[in-house]
Amino acid sequence: MNTMSDLGNALQDDPLLRCTFCRKSFNCNQQIINAKGQTFHSHCFVCAQCFQPFDDGVYYEFENRKYCENDFQLLFAPFCRGCKLFIKGRVIKAINFNWHPECFRCHSCNVLLDTGFVKNAQRPFCRECNLKEKIKNQNQIKCHKCSTPIENDMIRYKGETYHPYHFNCKLCDQELNCNAREVRGDLYCPKCHDKLDIPICSACHTPIDQERIVYALGKTWHVEHFACAKCEIPFNGSKHFEKRGLAYCEAHYSQLFGNLCFVCNSTITGDVFSFMNKSWCDKHFSCYLCDGMMNQKTKFYDFDSKPVCKHCFDKLPSKIRSAILKASDTKEQSKSIFSWIKDK
Amino acid sequence: MPGKLLKKILEEHKQSEHDSLSIIDQGINSILEIPELLTLKRLTRLTLSHNRLNSIPAQIAELINLEQLNLSNNQIEELPTSISSFQNLKILKLCFNRINSLPRGFGAFPVLEILDLTTNNLSETSLSNNFFELKSLRALYLADNFFEDLPKEINKLENLQILVLRTNELISIPDEISDLKNLKELHIQSNRLCILPPSIVQLDLFNPKSILKLDNNPWVDGIKNAYDISISHLSDFLASENYKKVYDQEINNSSKASLQPKSERYKRLNKK
Repeated sequence: MNTMSDLGNALQDDPLLRCTFCRKSFNCNQQIINAKGQTFHSHCFVCAQCFQPFDDGVYYEFENRKYCENDFQLLFAPFCRGCKLFIKGRVIKAINFNWHPECFRCHSCNVLLDTGFVKNAQRPFCRECNLKEKIKNQNQIKCHKCSTPIENDMIRYKGETYHPYHFNCKLCDQELNCNAREVRGDLYCPKCHDKLDIPICSACHTPIDQERIVYALGKTWHVEHFACAKCEIPFNGSKHFEKRGLAYCEAHYSQLFGNLCFVCNSTITGDVFSFMNKSWCDKHFSCYLCDGMMNQKTKFYDFDSKPVCKHCFDKLPSKIRSAILKASDTKEQSKSIFSWIKDK
Repeated sequence: MPGKLLKKILEEHKQSEHDSLSIIDQGINSILEIPELLTLKRLTRLTLSHNRLNSIPAQIAELINLEQLNLSNNQIEELPTSISSFQNLKILKLCFNRINSLPRGFGAFPVLEILDLTTNNLSETSLSNNFFELKSLRALYLADNFFEDLPKEINKLENLQILVLRTNELISIPDEISDLKNLKELHIQSNRLCILPPSIVQLDLFNPKSILKLDNNPWVDGIKNAYDISISHLSDFLASENYKKVYDQEINNSSKASLQPKSERYKRLNKK
């Protein structure tokens, strides 16, 4: 028969009779708790979260740790979106949340959604209420951050609408209101925005916040606002023609100002030589017969409304010369009109 | 043999980087007199006005980059068929020559914009078959030739802005002329015209920015009187119902026009 001290020795020596939690042996008069074949000191057999003994010895195990009911639910159990209590038993997972089956109800009419639901702005609805909600929301602007309707002030940011109070000024950190301005993806209060020295578009008189700015006619423009003064189609980087402080596309410039060079058939941008109903750029204003360059001082004849220098005229047979003179002088309308318009 | 001045011109051209060359009034009889000319492949503009060329060698087509060719006031009677092979030629001036007919395939120029055949010996029968395929033409000068009839196909030259038919033998202008929606300049002085097609008022020829020359024709009284007052009177008259009656009458009774005597210029044709 073993004596008490023998038992004490046996308890101390047996490696199996150690506390699973603290790995220490038991003293002979200590209470040993046995749970599923594991032994614990009574002060070691507590909740891993609150270190309190378990009520009625009921514990929940998760990854080899033991928790009291309350902490286990707090840490790991699903939490009902509806009643805010823990869910035991059947869980409905919908719209990124968990629900008691009896709590999963229409957001509007509170009917039990056991036969299906419709998601609308992160909320469940029955079909009828969803329809009503949709109609109600059609004219309502929602904040892209909090998904609630925007009643008063609103700002636009990166293509979405928001309550201004979700944002702060990039520079002064002040909460923004509806006067906030976006510059290259950041939001500023009007005061700080003015300090940024943003160019103003000459067409719409609003700041040019994008990366691309057009510098033309001594002014700055939004790319999409720098357009032909006649057809209003933006140039988008294509060639434009300036006249009296306005810009035109090539087609309308030549239509309005009629200055296509007779020789090269391109729009004249510099000095313009005009004779009869024709125009020439200064590079191409030349005698029709010898292609010799002419200028505003050169004397020339009207040969079927084409200019011919005196030199060439004198080389023509006399019969042709008199025919040219006759053809050009028979009617008032045909009198040679020559003009030379210096550019600017 | 090239003269001193010509040598100098060629020498200067070689030294410069210009892509244009003018040899004017140097008494050249043939392009073949200047063999080096045809080797200047980079030329885009060649002017040989006021010389004595009487023919153009087929080899001229070797100057493949030519954009402007000016052969005004020479004695050219015939053109080589190769001339229409210039792919970049925009301006061709052949005025004051003796061309009797255009070579076969002359209408093949893909980008020709200005064609000047003033003062030659051409008529509607001497145009090439494909002449009216010159769709890119914006100016056509046929003054001082021997056209009695302007072919209806003129309406195929849809980009034409300038049409000059001064001093020909024209008896009528075809109704199709009103298809030339871009026409802004029309010279038909010194012909044998009595009437104009009423549809001509659709063209933009009757405003001060346009040129319309009608003088020296045996016009019916209505046209003559209206034209004497002003261009806008003429336009109103041509658009009137009254003129339509006059026009129909004249069309049915075209004897008057054919009675108009031909000009004495035919002597020029017979001279050769």
